[in-house]
Amino acid sequence: MAVKVSMTVNGKAVSHEVEERTLLVNYIRETLKLTGTHVGCDTAQCGACTVHMNGKAIKSCNIVAMQAEGANITTIEGVAKADGTLHPMQQAFKEHHGLQCGFCTPGMVMSAIDLVKNFPNPTEAQIREQLEGNLCRCTGYHNIVKAIKAASADKNVTVVGG
Amino acid sequence: MSHDAFHGRLEDDRMVTGSGTYTLDWDFPDTAHAWFVRADRAHAEIVSIDASAALAHPGVIAVLTGADLEAAGFKSLPVITMPLKPDAMKPLMPFRPCLATGKVRLAGEAVACVIAETQRIAMDASELVVVEYNELQPVVDSLDALKPGAPQLHDDVPGNLYWDYEDGDRAGTDALFARAAKIVKHDLYNHRVVGHPMEPRCCTGVYDAAKDQYFLYSPTQGPRMQASMVAKVLDVPTDKVDVVAKDTGGGFGIRSAPYPEYCVTLLASKKLGRPVRWNGTRSEVFLTDNQARDFICHGELALDDKGKFLAMRFFIVANNGAYLAPTGLLAQTRSVTSCITGVYDVPVSHARIQLVATNTAQVSAYRGAGRPIMSMLLECLVERAAIDLNMDVVEIRRKNLIRNDQYPYKLVNGTTYDCGDFEGVLDDALKAADWNGFDKRRAESARRGKLRGRALSTYIESTAAGGIPDDAQLLFEADGTISLKSSSHSHGQGHETSFAQVVAGVLGVPMNIVKLRTGEAGMRVGGGGTGGSRSMVSFGSSYLLGAREVVKKGREFAAKELEASPDDIEFDHGEYSIKGTDRRISLMDLAKKYKGSAGEPHPLNSVGSGKWGMTFPNGAHIAEVEIDAETGVTEIVSYIAVDDIGNVITHALVEGQMQGGLTQGAGQILGEHAIYDRDTGQLLTGSFMDYPMPRAGMVAGLEVLDHPVPTKLNPLGAKGVGEAGCTGALPTLANAIVDALRPVGVTHFDMPATPQRVWQAIQAAKAGNPRALQTYTLEYA
Amino acid sequence: MYAFQYRKAKSVDDAVSALAADADAKVLGGGQSLVAALKLRLAQPSALVDLGTIGDLRYIKVGAAEVTIGAMTTHATVAASPELKKAIPALADLAGDIGDRQVRNMGTCGGSIANNDPAADYPAACQGLVATIITNKRRIAADDFFKGLYETALEAGEIITAVSFPIPKRAAYMKFKNPASRFALVGVFVAETSAGPRVAVTGAGPGVFRVKDMEQALARKFAPESVAAIKVPADDLNSDMHAQADYRAHLITVMAKRAVEKALK
Repeated sequence: MAVKVSMTVNGKAVSHEVEERTLLVNYIRETLKLTGTHVGCDTAQCGACTVHMNGKAIKSCNIVAMQAEGANITTIEGVAKADGTLHPMQQAFKEHHGLQCGFCTPGMVMSAIDLVKNFPNPTEAQIREQLEGNLCRCTGYHNIVKAIKAASADKNVTVVGG
Repeated sequence: MSHDAFHGRLEDDRMVTGSGTYTLDWDFPDTAHAWFVRADRAHAEIVSIDASAALAHPGVIAVLTGADLEAAGFKSLPVITMPLKPDAMKPLMPFRPCLATGKVRLAGEAVACVIAETQRIAMDASELVVVEYNELQPVVDSLDALKPGAPQLHDDVPGNLYWDYEDGDRAGTDALFARAAKIVKHDLYNHRVVGHPMEPRCCTGVYDAAKDQYFLYSPTQGPRMQASMVAKVLDVPTDKVDVVAKDTGGGFGIRSAPYPEYCVTLLASKKLGRPVRWNGTRSEVFLTDNQARDFICHGELALDDKGKFLAMRFFIVANNGAYLAPTGLLAQTRSVTSCITGVYDVPVSHARIQLVATNTAQVSAYRGAGRPIMSMLLECLVERAAIDLNMDVVEIRRKNLIRNDQYPYKLVNGTTYDCGDFEGVLDDALKAADWNGFDKRRAESARRGKLRGRALSTYIESTAAGGIPDDAQLLFEADGTISLKSSSHSHGQGHETSFAQVVAGVLGVPMNIVKLRTGEAGMRVGGGGTGGSRSMVSFGSSYLLGAREVVKKGREFAAKELEASPDDIEFDHGEYSIKGTDRRISLMDLAKKYKGSAGEPHPLNSVGSGKWGMTFPNGAHIAEVEIDAETGVTEIVSYIAVDDIGNVITHALVEGQMQGGLTQGAGQILGEHAIYDRDTGQLLTGSFMDYPMPRAGMVAGLEVLDHPVPTKLNPLGAKGVGEAGCTGALPTLANAIVDALRPVGVTHFDMPATPQRVWQAIQAAKAGNPRALQTYTLEYA
Repeated sequence: MYAFQYRKAKSVDDAVSALAADADAKVLGGGQSLVAALKLRLAQPSALVDLGTIGDLRYIKVGAAEVTIGAMTTHATVAASPELKKAIPALADLAGDIGDRQVRNMGTCGGSIANNDPAADYPAACQGLVATIITNKRRIAADDFFKGLYETALEAGEIITAVSFPIPKRAAYMKFKNPASRFALVGVFVAETSAGPRVAVTGAGPGVFRVKDMEQALARKFAPESVAAIKVPADDLNSDMHAQADYRAHLITVMAKRAVEKALK
C-alpha cells in the first residue's frame, strides 16, 4: 500500500510515494536523506525529532507523513542562511557551549526558535518550563538555557533560512 | 583558554546545523534491516523457536537464532578482568550469548533476529516468530538471589554469586573497631538507573568479503577497544574488525563495549552479502542497555573519643544482572574501593563486595562507575556520625581531612593520592555557599511553608589510568593541516577542540588546521578508549609530548633553512628564529618546504605516548533543597560545587562536564529509578512515560568553581573531570534531603526522593516510623 | 506501526461516511495520542480518517455567556487566544500546560476529549465548566459524556465538532504532574459556575469525576478552607508506582485547595 505525499521542505517542493504508516521523521531521514533530524525515543518525549510545520515546532516522530501533506516543513538543515551563516540560535548554542554530544541539538535548536517566537524575551524560568518537550543527557541544560536567553535578544531569531 | 575567549568548539558547526554523522546517518546501498525478537519473560527455558511463518512473510530475507551463532563459532561476549591476589576468589564468568540459547535470563533478551528488506517488514515478521518457553521463577533482588533455594540463573554460578571481592585489611580493621570509643553504622540502597545516552543503541554491520574484513558502524567510546571485543565474539583476529564512527550521541560508560546485536548484524552481513542495519529503539535501551548502580550498602566507622576516624569497614551487595557486562567486574569492585576512605585520614579499612546474578539487565560502568557508590556511602556514614555524636557536620570532616603535608598519601589498599588541598577546597565551598547564613534562609523557607535542608559533601575519585600506552599521532598533511589520530572517541567531551587546543598551543598554529580523527576504517593506533574521565589526562598528555616532539624535529630543519646551528634556534608562537635576529620561518612554512619524498611519511610527523597514572579529582559540594511537605516535591534551590581537577585546559568544556555530571546525579536522586517487578521480573519503568528523566526545570542555581591543585603525574597537570560532578552530587543531594526531613521526624530515607516517597516518609514519621523508607539492612560480614 | 489506510477527510460529512464504510477505521485529530499508540503497536486500526485539513473545525468563538472551541483547534491556539484568556483564563492556562510545546502545536481539543485518557486535562475542564460536547449528531452534556477509562458517549461514526464552555464567574486548574510522563497524576479543576461550584478531578481515577462534597462546601463558602479538610475516599482511585491511591486522595485535597486559592486571585 502506498500513497503519494507532497510538501515543501526547506523551501523545496518534494513529492514521493510512501507507505501510509510512514512517520514524518522517517520520510525526512530515509526518503529525503536529511539526517539532521534525530530519533531519541519512541514515546514522543525527547524532542530530538523536532521540526517546524508551517512555522510551528512539532515532533516529527509523532505524526504520519501524510499529516504534513501540503505543509511547509523546516528542518535543522534549513535554519542557517544559504551562505552558511549560522542562525542566531545556532550561533548562541555554539558560543555558550549549549551542546556536547550534539544528538539532541537539532531538536533543541528547532524547539528553541519556536520558544522565542511564543515567548519573546523569555525569563530563565520560562525557558526551563517551556523546554519540557526536549531531553538532553549531556549538558544538564544550563548552557542551553543561557544560549536561548542570549539568542532571544537577537532581532532575527525568529527568522529561519534565507 | 579563559572563559571569555570561548567562542564554540570545532565540532559545533556541523552539530548545530544537522550535519553531524551519527550511527544511523551512515547510508549504504542495498542495506537489509534487522529486528530482534525479544524474550517477553524474565526467566525461562527455550523449548523451541519456529521461524517458518516469519520466513514466509514477503520481504523477509533470513531469521537467525542462537543455533546459527553457535554454528558460526560465536564466543561469549567478553568481560574485562583484573589482576587478583593469589588467595582471592576467582570471578565466575558465565557464557553470555548474542542470541539466547537454552535459556532466557532477562525480559528483553534477544532470542532471534529477523532480517528483511525494510525495518517495518522485519518488525511485522518478528511477531510471527513463535518461541515456546518453559517458564521459570525469576529473581530480581540481589538479597533474594543469594538466599538458599533461590532460582539459579547459571549452572556455573552456584548460589548466583559471580564474585566475592575483598579490599583492604580485614584483621587490622577489626582490631581498631574492637578498641574504638564509638562505632557508627549506616545502611543505604544506591538504586538502579538507566544511563540513557540520547542516541539509542543501533548499528550497521558490513562484511567485506573481498578483504574478509568486518566493519561495524556503531556508537562507541573507543573504536579499537570495541573492535577487540567484537573480534573475541566472532573469534577472529582483532585486526579483522573495524569499528567506524564519527559522531556518537552520548556514552557515559555504557557505550564503551559492544552489544549482542552488533555482532549479530556482522554475521548477518557476512551470510547475506549485504550491509545489515539495526535501528534500535528507546524501549530496547531500557530493557537491554547496560544499566547502572543497584548496590545495597552497609558502612561502619570507628572513632576515638575526640571524633577522630580510626577505621572503616563496608559490606556491599551489588546486583550485576543476568550476565556480567564487559565492565561489570571492574566497575563494581575496584572502582568502588579505589578511594575507599575518601579525603579522610583513616589508617585502615576493609570492604567486601558480593556481585550477584539476577534476572535483570546487566550492570556496567556508568558516569562515576563505582566511585559514586563509595562517595555516597562514605559521606552518608560521616553525616550519620556527626548526628549520632552530636558533632558539627563541617568540623567532623575538617578534623579528619588528609593534611597537605601528608602527600603522597597511601591508602591501605595501595591507592596513593599524589596531591590535593582538601581543606582549601572545603573553605572555598563554605564561603561560596554562605554556610553561616543558612538558618536565616531556612526560616525564610519555613515562612513559605517549605522545609529547607542543606548538606556539605566531599568526594575524591580516581580516574582511569592507562593500562596500555596511549598513543597520539600528529601527522602533517599535504593540504596544510595537521591530523591528530588517537583511539579515544568523543561522545560529547569535545576532543576535537581540546586536543587541537593542546597541540595548537605548543605549535603556535591556528586551532582550525588541527583535525582530530578517531573512528576511521583502517585506523590502527595504540591506546584505550574514552572512559573513566581519562581522555584529557592521558591522550591530552600524549598530544602535548607529541607536539613537543614536532617542535624538536622542526628545529633541525629550521637550522638548515636559516643556516644556523640548532642550538641558536628559538621557537615561539609558531616560528623558529635565530636568537637575537629577525631571521625566522614559521613551522607550517617549514612543513611545506621539507615534506620529504613522495609516498614517505612527512618528516615532522610525531607520536606522543605514555602510560599515564590515575589522578585524583576531588571537591566539596554544598546543596540546599526545599521540600513542599504537603505534596512531597523536592526542589534544588542552590548547588555550589568547588572542584580540584588540576589544571584546566578549556574552562567552558570543564564547566559543561561538571554541569552535566551534577545533573545526572540529581536525576538519580530526585527520581530516576529502574524498577523490576519482584514476581514477574518485568521492567516496570520501561519508557520515559514511567522513568523520570531530568528536564530543564530540575536544576537551577548551579555554580561551578575551580580550586586547581595541578598534579605532577602528567605533563598537563590535569586531573579527570568527566565523572566528578556525578560522584559529588549523589551524597550532597541525598544528605540535603534528609537534612530537610529531619525536623519532621525522618531519620533515614533511601533515594530516590520522588514526591510520593518523600510524602510517604513524612506520613510514616508522623505515625512513629522514622525509617520507613529504608529499603535494606545488612550486617558487616 | 501496523499497516493502515489513510484517508484525508474533506469535510465532517466526508469523514462520517468514511467511518460508516469501515468499522475498524479511527478518526485522526492531531494524532498526539493516537500516533504514539500506533507506534508502540498498541492499536491496529484498518484506516485513519484525518480531520486535519477541515478548516472550519478550527476556531475559537467567544460570546457573552459562552466560549465555543472548534474540535480541531490546537492546544497552542487555545492557550494563546487573547479573547479566551480574558473570558476563561483557567481554560487557556490548562491548554497551555498540556503535554509540551511541540505536542500543543499538534494536539487538539476535540481529539483530547474524544480520547478521554484518564490523565488528560480537558475532561476536567469540561466537567468543571459544565461544558457541552457538540457532535455531528447532537449536543452532549459533559456529565454524560465521559464514561470511564477511554470510554465516551460517542457512538460509532460520531465525530466531535466543537465544545461549548459557559463562562464561569471564576475558575482555576491545578495539576500535579507525573514526574515522568508529565501527565496529570492528579488534576483538579474548580469553578464557580451559574450551575453552582464545580470540582472536577482528572488523573486520579479511571476517568474524570466530580467531588460533590467539595462542591457543596464551596457552595456554602467559596474559599480554600472549605475544601481543605475534605478527603476523597482512596478506594476507587488509581494506584501505581508513581502514586498509590492514598497519595492520590491526599493530592486531590491539596490541589483542590490550591485551585480555589488560585481562582480567587
